[in-house]
Amino acid sequence: MSASRRVQQWLTFTRQWWLFDAKWQDPFESAKVINKHLKGAHKPIFGGHADCGDHVVVINSQDIAMRGDEWYYRVYFHHTGYPGGATWTKAWELHKKDPTMIIWKACYRDLEKDLTRRGRMQRLHIFKDSNIPKDIIQNITDQIPQLRTVPKRLKDYSQEEIEKFPKLFDYPKEHVLD
Amino acid sequence: MSQLSLFVKSGFVKAPLANGIGRYVPQCQRMTLKFCLGWGNSRGVRDFIQHDLIEFVKQNPGTVMYLKPRRHRSPVLVAEYLNGGREWFSLNDMTREEVYKWVDLYRTKAGYPDMHFKNYQHSDIPSIQGYWTPFTNKPADRNMLEFPQNSLNTPLNLKPSTSEIISKLYGEPQEQRSSR
Repeated sequence: MSASRRVQQWLTFTRQWWLFDAKWQDPFESAKVINKHLKGAHKPIFGGHADCGDHVVVINSQDIAMRGDEWYYRVYFHHTGYPGGATWTKAWELHKKDPTMIIWKACYRDLEKDLTRRGRMQRLHIFKDSNIPKDIIQNITDQIPQLRTVPKRLKDYSQEEIEKFPKLFDYPKEHVLD
Repeated sequence: MSQLSLFVKSGFVKAPLANGIGRYVPQCQRMTLKFCLGWGNSRGVRDFIQHDLIEFVKQNPGTVMYLKPRRHRSPVLVAEYLNGGREWFSLNDMTREEVYKWVDLYRTKAGYPDMHFKNYQHSDIPSIQGYWTPFTNKPADRNMLEFPQNSLNTPLNLKPSTSEIISKLYGEPQEQRSSR
Protein backbone atom coordinates (compact mmCIF):
# COMPACT_ATOMS: atom_id res chain seq x y z
CA MET A 1 0.00 0.00 0.00
CA SER A 2 1.41 3.33 -1.07
CA ALA A 3 1.85 6.22 1.34
CA SER A 4 -1.10 8.18 -0.04
CA ARG A 5 -3.42 5.19 0.18
CA ARG A 6 -2.30 4.60 3.76
CA VAL A 7 -3.11 8.16 4.76
CA GLN A 8 -6.45 7.82 2.98
CA GLN A 9 -7.16 4.80 5.16
CA TRP A 10 -6.35 6.75 8.33
CA LEU A 11 -8.59 9.60 7.25
CA THR A 12 -11.53 7.33 6.43
CA PHE A 13 -11.31 5.50 9.75
CA THR A 14 -10.66 8.54 11.93
CA ARG A 15 -12.69 8.41 15.10
CA GLN A 16 -15.05 11.35 15.38
CA TRP A 17 -16.28 12.91 18.61
CA TRP A 18 -19.97 13.72 18.91
CA LEU A 19 -21.82 15.76 21.49
CA PHE A 20 -25.31 14.87 22.69
CA ASP A 21 -27.33 17.11 24.97
CA ALA A 22 -29.51 14.81 27.11
CA LYS A 23 -31.60 17.62 28.58
CA TRP A 24 -35.28 16.58 28.67
CA GLN A 25 -34.52 13.51 26.55
CA ASP A 26 -35.81 9.98 27.05
CA PRO A 27 -32.69 7.98 28.02
CA PHE A 28 -33.87 4.78 26.34
CA GLU A 29 -34.76 6.41 23.05
CA SER A 30 -31.51 8.41 23.20
CA ALA A 31 -29.49 5.25 23.81
CA LYS A 32 -30.44 3.93 20.38
CA VAL A 33 -29.18 7.07 18.68
CA ILE A 34 -26.05 7.22 20.81
CA ASN A 35 -25.29 3.55 20.15
CA LYS A 36 -25.64 4.09 16.42
CA HIS A 37 -22.71 6.50 16.69
CA LEU A 38 -20.76 4.29 19.12
CA LYS A 39 -20.99 1.47 16.58
CA GLY A 40 -20.33 3.68 13.56
CA ALA A 41 -23.57 2.50 11.95
CA HIS A 42 -24.16 6.02 10.56
CA LYS A 43 -21.12 5.66 8.26
CA PRO A 44 -21.13 4.20 4.76
CA ILE A 45 -18.02 2.14 5.66
CA PHE A 46 -19.87 0.35 8.46
CA GLY A 47 -19.73 -3.43 8.28
CA GLY A 48 -19.15 -6.52 10.33
CA HIS A 49 -15.37 -6.23 10.26
CA ALA A 50 -14.94 -2.44 10.27
CA ASP A 51 -13.82 -0.97 13.60
CA CYS A 52 -15.29 2.45 12.92
CA GLY A 53 -17.09 3.41 16.15
CA ASP A 54 -17.08 7.03 17.27
CA HIS A 55 -16.85 8.76 20.63
CA VAL A 56 -20.01 10.28 22.07
CA VAL A 57 -19.97 12.89 24.83
CA VAL A 58 -23.31 13.11 26.64
CA ILE A 59 -23.94 16.27 28.66
CA ASN A 60 -26.71 17.27 31.06
CA SER A 61 -27.47 13.68 31.98
CA GLN A 62 -29.00 14.87 35.25
CA ASP A 63 -31.80 16.50 33.25
CA ILE A 64 -33.08 13.39 31.43
CA ALA A 65 -36.82 12.86 31.36
CA MET A 66 -39.05 9.81 31.79
CA ARG A 67 -42.71 9.41 30.94
CA GLY A 68 -45.44 9.44 33.57
CA ASP A 69 -44.56 7.59 36.76
CA GLU A 70 -41.61 5.80 35.21
CA TRP A 71 -39.18 7.28 37.75
CA TYR A 72 -41.14 5.38 40.43
CA TYR A 73 -41.89 2.05 38.77
CA ARG A 74 -38.66 1.46 36.80
CA VAL A 75 -36.47 -0.74 39.02
CA TYR A 76 -32.78 -1.62 38.71
CA PHE A 77 -31.83 -5.02 40.10
CA HIS A 78 -28.49 -5.90 41.64
CA HIS A 79 -27.30 -8.97 43.48
CA THR A 80 -24.12 -9.01 45.53
CA GLY A 81 -23.82 -12.82 45.23
CA TYR A 82 -24.35 -13.43 48.91
CA PRO A 83 -27.62 -14.85 50.30
CA GLY A 84 -30.07 -12.05 50.78
CA GLY A 85 -27.87 -9.79 48.69
CA ALA A 86 -30.54 -8.79 46.19
CA THR A 87 -31.43 -5.13 45.96
CA TRP A 88 -34.06 -3.37 43.90
CA THR A 89 -33.40 0.32 43.30
CA LYS A 90 -36.01 2.68 41.89
CA ALA A 91 -34.93 4.78 38.95
CA TRP A 92 -35.25 8.03 40.91
CA GLU A 93 -33.07 6.62 43.69
CA LEU A 94 -30.39 5.52 41.27
CA HIS A 95 -30.54 8.87 39.50
CA LYS A 96 -30.13 10.65 42.83
CA LYS A 97 -27.12 8.50 43.65
CA ASP A 98 -25.39 8.90 40.29
CA PRO A 99 -27.02 11.07 37.60
CA THR A 100 -24.95 9.47 34.83
CA MET A 101 -25.85 5.87 35.57
CA ILE A 102 -29.29 5.55 33.95
CA ILE A 103 -28.14 6.63 30.53
CA TRP A 104 -24.99 4.49 30.89
CA LYS A 105 -27.09 1.43 31.67
CA ALA A 106 -29.52 2.24 28.86
CA CYS A 107 -26.67 2.32 26.33
CA TYR A 108 -25.00 -0.75 27.81
CA ARG A 109 -28.23 -2.70 27.60
CA ASP A 110 -28.97 -1.65 24.02
CA LEU A 111 -25.54 -2.64 22.63
CA GLU A 112 -24.87 -6.12 21.26
CA LYS A 113 -23.91 -8.59 23.99
CA ASP A 114 -20.56 -9.57 22.51
CA LEU A 115 -16.87 -8.74 22.79
CA THR A 116 -17.37 -5.34 21.13
CA ARG A 117 -19.60 -4.06 23.92
CA ARG A 118 -16.97 -3.04 26.50
CA GLY A 119 -14.81 -1.33 23.91
CA ARG A 120 -17.74 0.66 22.61
CA MET A 121 -18.80 1.66 26.10
CA GLN A 122 -15.28 2.99 26.68
CA ARG A 123 -16.01 5.57 23.97
CA LEU A 124 -19.09 6.86 25.77
CA HIS A 125 -18.38 9.85 28.03
CA ILE A 126 -21.27 11.01 30.24
CA PHE A 127 -21.33 14.23 32.24
CA LYS A 128 -24.10 15.21 34.60
CA ASP A 129 -24.01 18.88 33.56
CA SER A 130 -22.51 20.93 30.76
CA ASN A 131 -19.09 21.31 32.41
CA ILE A 132 -16.82 19.21 30.20
CA PRO A 133 -13.06 18.89 30.69
CA LYS A 134 -11.09 20.84 28.13
CA ASP A 135 -9.22 17.80 26.79
CA ILE A 136 -12.55 16.22 25.88
CA ILE A 137 -14.42 19.20 24.47
CA GLN A 138 -11.53 20.14 22.19
CA ASN A 139 -12.01 16.87 20.28
CA ILE A 140 -15.69 17.41 19.49
CA THR A 141 -16.41 18.03 15.82
CA ASP A 142 -20.17 17.67 15.59
CA GLN A 143 -23.36 17.40 17.54
CA ILE A 144 -26.16 14.81 17.50
CA PRO A 145 -29.57 16.49 17.24
CA GLN A 146 -31.93 15.92 20.13
CA LEU A 147 -34.94 13.64 19.75
CA ARG A 148 -37.45 16.11 21.26
CA THR A 149 -37.40 19.83 21.74
CA VAL A 150 -36.87 21.06 25.28
CA PRO A 151 -40.28 22.47 26.33
CA LYS A 152 -40.37 26.15 27.17
CA ARG A 153 -41.97 27.21 30.42
CA LEU A 154 -44.14 30.31 30.61
CA LYS A 155 -41.40 32.25 32.40
CA ASP A 156 -39.07 31.55 29.48
CA TYR A 157 -41.28 33.65 27.17
CA SER A 158 -40.86 37.39 27.12
CA GLN A 159 -43.79 39.62 28.05
CA GLU A 160 -44.03 40.75 24.43
CA GLU A 161 -44.36 37.17 23.19
CA ILE A 162 -47.05 36.42 25.77
CA GLU A 163 -49.07 39.47 24.76
CA LYS A 164 -48.64 38.68 21.09
CA PHE A 165 -50.08 35.20 21.45
CA PRO A 166 -53.70 35.15 20.15
CA LYS A 167 -56.49 35.04 22.70
CA LEU A 168 -58.57 32.02 21.79
CA PHE A 169 -61.58 32.57 24.10
CA ASP A 170 -62.98 35.00 26.65
CA TYR A 171 -63.39 34.01 30.27
CA PRO A 172 -66.94 34.35 31.66
CA LYS A 173 -67.47 37.39 33.87
CA GLU A 174 -67.77 35.43 37.08
CA HIS A 175 -64.45 33.53 36.42
CA VAL A 176 -61.85 34.40 39.06
CA LEU A 177 -58.21 34.60 37.95
CA ASP A 178 -55.45 34.51 40.53
CA MET B 1 -17.28 -22.10 1.21
CA SER B 2 -15.52 -21.52 4.48
CA GLN B 3 -12.83 -18.92 4.62
CA LEU B 4 -10.99 -20.69 7.43
CA SER B 5 -9.22 -23.44 5.54
CA LEU B 6 -5.67 -24.60 6.07
CA PHE B 7 -5.28 -25.72 2.47
CA VAL B 8 -7.53 -23.55 0.30
CA LYS B 9 -6.06 -20.07 0.23
CA SER B 10 -8.23 -16.99 0.10
CA GLY B 11 -7.65 -13.95 -2.06
CA PHE B 12 -9.01 -11.61 -4.65
CA VAL B 13 -9.85 -12.13 -8.30
CA LYS B 14 -6.87 -11.38 -10.50
CA ALA B 15 -5.84 -11.73 -14.12
CA PRO B 16 -2.17 -12.21 -15.13
CA LEU B 17 -0.73 -9.13 -16.85
CA ALA B 18 -4.16 -7.53 -17.29
CA ASN B 19 -5.13 -10.39 -19.58
CA GLY B 20 -8.27 -9.68 -21.55
CA ILE B 21 -7.80 -5.91 -21.63
CA GLY B 22 -7.07 -5.24 -25.30
CA ARG B 23 -5.99 -8.78 -26.15
CA TYR B 24 -6.48 -12.21 -24.66
CA VAL B 25 -3.71 -14.77 -24.30
CA PRO B 26 -4.90 -18.29 -23.44
CA GLN B 27 -3.06 -19.17 -20.27
CA CYS B 28 -3.19 -22.93 -20.70
CA GLN B 29 0.02 -23.92 -22.46
CA ARG B 30 -0.44 -27.65 -22.81
CA MET B 31 -2.68 -30.41 -21.59
CA THR B 32 -1.75 -34.07 -21.30
CA LEU B 33 -4.43 -36.73 -21.35
CA LYS B 34 -3.15 -39.96 -19.82
CA PHE B 35 -5.35 -42.98 -20.30
CA CYS B 36 -5.46 -46.74 -20.68
CA LEU B 37 -6.52 -48.40 -23.92
CA GLY B 38 -8.01 -51.40 -22.21
CA TRP B 39 -9.51 -50.55 -18.84
CA GLY B 40 -13.08 -49.42 -18.50
CA ASN B 41 -12.38 -46.42 -16.29
CA SER B 42 -10.75 -44.73 -19.31
CA ARG B 43 -13.81 -45.35 -21.48
CA GLY B 44 -15.02 -41.72 -21.38
CA VAL B 45 -11.57 -40.38 -22.21
CA ARG B 46 -11.25 -42.76 -25.17
CA ASP B 47 -14.70 -41.69 -26.43
CA PHE B 48 -13.69 -38.04 -26.04
CA ILE B 49 -10.53 -38.65 -28.04
CA GLN B 50 -12.41 -40.56 -30.72
CA HIS B 51 -15.25 -38.10 -31.24
CA ASP B 52 -14.42 -34.64 -29.84
CA LEU B 53 -10.68 -34.17 -29.66
CA ILE B 54 -9.99 -33.05 -33.25
CA GLU B 55 -12.75 -30.46 -33.17
CA PHE B 56 -11.61 -29.28 -29.70
CA VAL B 57 -8.02 -28.80 -30.81
CA LYS B 58 -9.07 -26.96 -33.97
CA GLN B 59 -11.16 -24.54 -31.90
CA ASN B 60 -8.31 -23.92 -29.41
CA PRO B 61 -5.08 -23.57 -31.35
CA GLY B 62 -3.37 -21.83 -28.39
CA THR B 63 -3.32 -25.00 -26.33
CA VAL B 64 -1.22 -28.03 -27.17
CA MET B 65 -2.84 -31.39 -26.48
CA TYR B 66 -0.72 -34.43 -25.71
CA LEU B 67 -2.10 -37.96 -25.58
CA LYS B 68 -0.25 -40.49 -23.47
CA PRO B 69 -1.63 -44.01 -23.54
CA ARG B 70 -0.33 -46.14 -20.71
CA ARG B 71 -1.24 -49.55 -19.60
CA HIS B 72 -3.37 -50.35 -16.57
CA ARG B 73 -3.46 -46.91 -14.98
CA SER B 74 -6.44 -44.64 -14.33
CA PRO B 75 -7.09 -41.71 -16.70
CA VAL B 76 -5.60 -38.35 -15.73
CA LEU B 77 -5.55 -34.80 -17.08
CA VAL B 78 -2.45 -32.68 -16.46
CA ALA B 79 -2.61 -29.04 -17.51
CA GLU B 80 0.40 -26.71 -17.56
CA TYR B 81 0.09 -22.95 -17.63
CA LEU B 82 2.12 -19.95 -18.74
CA ASN B 83 2.74 -18.84 -15.16
CA GLY B 84 4.36 -22.16 -14.32
CA GLY B 85 1.29 -23.60 -12.67
CA ARG B 86 0.50 -27.32 -13.08
CA GLU B 87 -2.86 -28.88 -12.38
CA TRP B 88 -3.48 -32.61 -11.99
CA PHE B 89 -7.01 -33.94 -12.33
CA SER B 90 -8.38 -37.47 -12.29
CA LEU B 91 -10.85 -38.41 -15.04
CA ASN B 92 -11.62 -41.79 -13.54
CA ASP B 93 -14.92 -43.41 -14.62
CA MET B 94 -16.16 -40.24 -16.34
CA THR B 95 -18.44 -40.16 -19.34
CA ARG B 96 -17.52 -38.49 -22.62
CA GLU B 97 -19.60 -35.39 -21.76
CA GLU B 98 -18.03 -35.04 -18.30
CA VAL B 99 -14.54 -35.34 -19.74
CA TYR B 100 -15.35 -32.62 -22.28
CA LYS B 101 -16.56 -30.25 -19.55
CA TRP B 102 -13.51 -30.76 -17.33
CA VAL B 103 -11.02 -30.45 -20.19
CA ASP B 104 -12.74 -27.25 -21.28
CA LEU B 105 -12.62 -25.92 -17.72
CA TYR B 106 -8.89 -26.57 -17.36
CA ARG B 107 -8.33 -24.88 -20.73
CA THR B 108 -9.88 -21.64 -19.42
CA LYS B 109 -8.13 -21.53 -16.04
CA ALA B 110 -5.27 -19.10 -15.42
CA GLY B 111 -2.97 -21.49 -13.61
CA TYR B 112 -3.52 -20.22 -10.09
CA PRO B 113 -4.53 -22.81 -7.51
CA ASP B 114 -8.18 -22.86 -6.39
CA MET B 115 -8.84 -20.13 -3.90
CA HIS B 116 -11.68 -18.78 -1.83
CA PHE B 117 -12.61 -15.44 -3.32
CA LYS B 118 -13.07 -12.81 -0.66
CA ASN B 119 -14.96 -10.80 -3.26
CA TYR B 120 -16.21 -11.72 -6.69
CA GLN B 121 -15.23 -8.32 -8.08
CA HIS B 122 -11.92 -6.53 -7.97
CA SER B 123 -10.92 -3.07 -9.08
CA ASP B 124 -7.62 -1.24 -8.84
CA ILE B 125 -9.58 2.01 -8.70
CA PRO B 126 -12.43 1.21 -6.30
CA SER B 127 -13.96 4.68 -6.23
CA ILE B 128 -14.08 7.27 -8.98
CA GLN B 129 -15.72 9.93 -6.83
CA GLY B 130 -13.21 9.53 -3.99
CA TYR B 131 -13.24 7.73 -0.67
CA TRP B 132 -15.69 8.65 2.05
CA THR B 133 -14.19 10.51 5.00
CA PRO B 134 -15.82 11.93 8.14
CA PHE B 135 -15.71 15.34 6.46
CA THR B 136 -17.55 14.32 3.28
CA ASN B 137 -20.86 16.19 2.88
CA LYS B 138 -20.35 17.94 6.20
CA PRO B 139 -20.90 21.70 6.55
CA ALA B 140 -17.56 23.50 6.78
CA ASP B 141 -18.69 25.69 9.69
CA ARG B 142 -18.39 22.73 12.09
CA ASN B 143 -14.66 23.43 12.23
CA MET B 144 -15.22 26.91 13.59
CA LEU B 145 -18.09 26.29 16.04
CA GLU B 146 -17.84 26.23 19.80
CA PHE B 147 -19.67 23.27 21.29
CA PRO B 148 -22.31 22.83 22.65
CA GLN B 149 -24.43 24.72 20.11
CA ASN B 150 -28.12 25.16 20.87
CA SER B 151 -28.93 25.58 17.19
CA LEU B 152 -27.69 22.05 16.45
CA ASN B 153 -29.99 20.54 19.09
CA THR B 154 -33.08 20.92 16.90
CA PRO B 155 -34.62 17.50 16.22
CA LEU B 156 -34.70 16.29 12.64
CA ASN B 157 -38.06 16.36 10.83
CA LEU B 158 -39.54 18.61 13.48
CA LYS B 159 -43.20 19.47 12.84
CA PRO B 160 -44.62 22.81 14.01
CA SER B 161 -46.30 22.71 17.41
CA THR B 162 -49.95 23.62 17.95
CA SER B 163 -48.91 26.91 19.54
CA GLU B 164 -46.87 27.81 16.48
CA ILE B 165 -49.74 26.91 14.15
CA ILE B 166 -52.16 29.05 16.17
CA SER B 167 -49.70 31.94 16.25
CA LYS B 168 -49.32 31.71 12.52
CA LEU B 169 -53.07 31.55 11.85
CA TYR B 170 -54.21 34.21 14.32
CA GLY B 171 -50.91 35.87 15.08
CA GLU B 172 -51.84 39.51 15.37
CA PRO B 173 -51.64 41.72 18.44
CA GLN B 174 -54.64 41.69 20.77
CA GLU B 175 -55.21 45.46 20.42
CA GLN B 176 -55.87 45.16 16.70
CA ARG B 177 -58.25 42.28 17.20
CA SER B 178 -60.19 43.98 20.00
CA SER B 179 -60.58 47.16 17.95
CA ARG B 180 -62.59 45.35 15.31
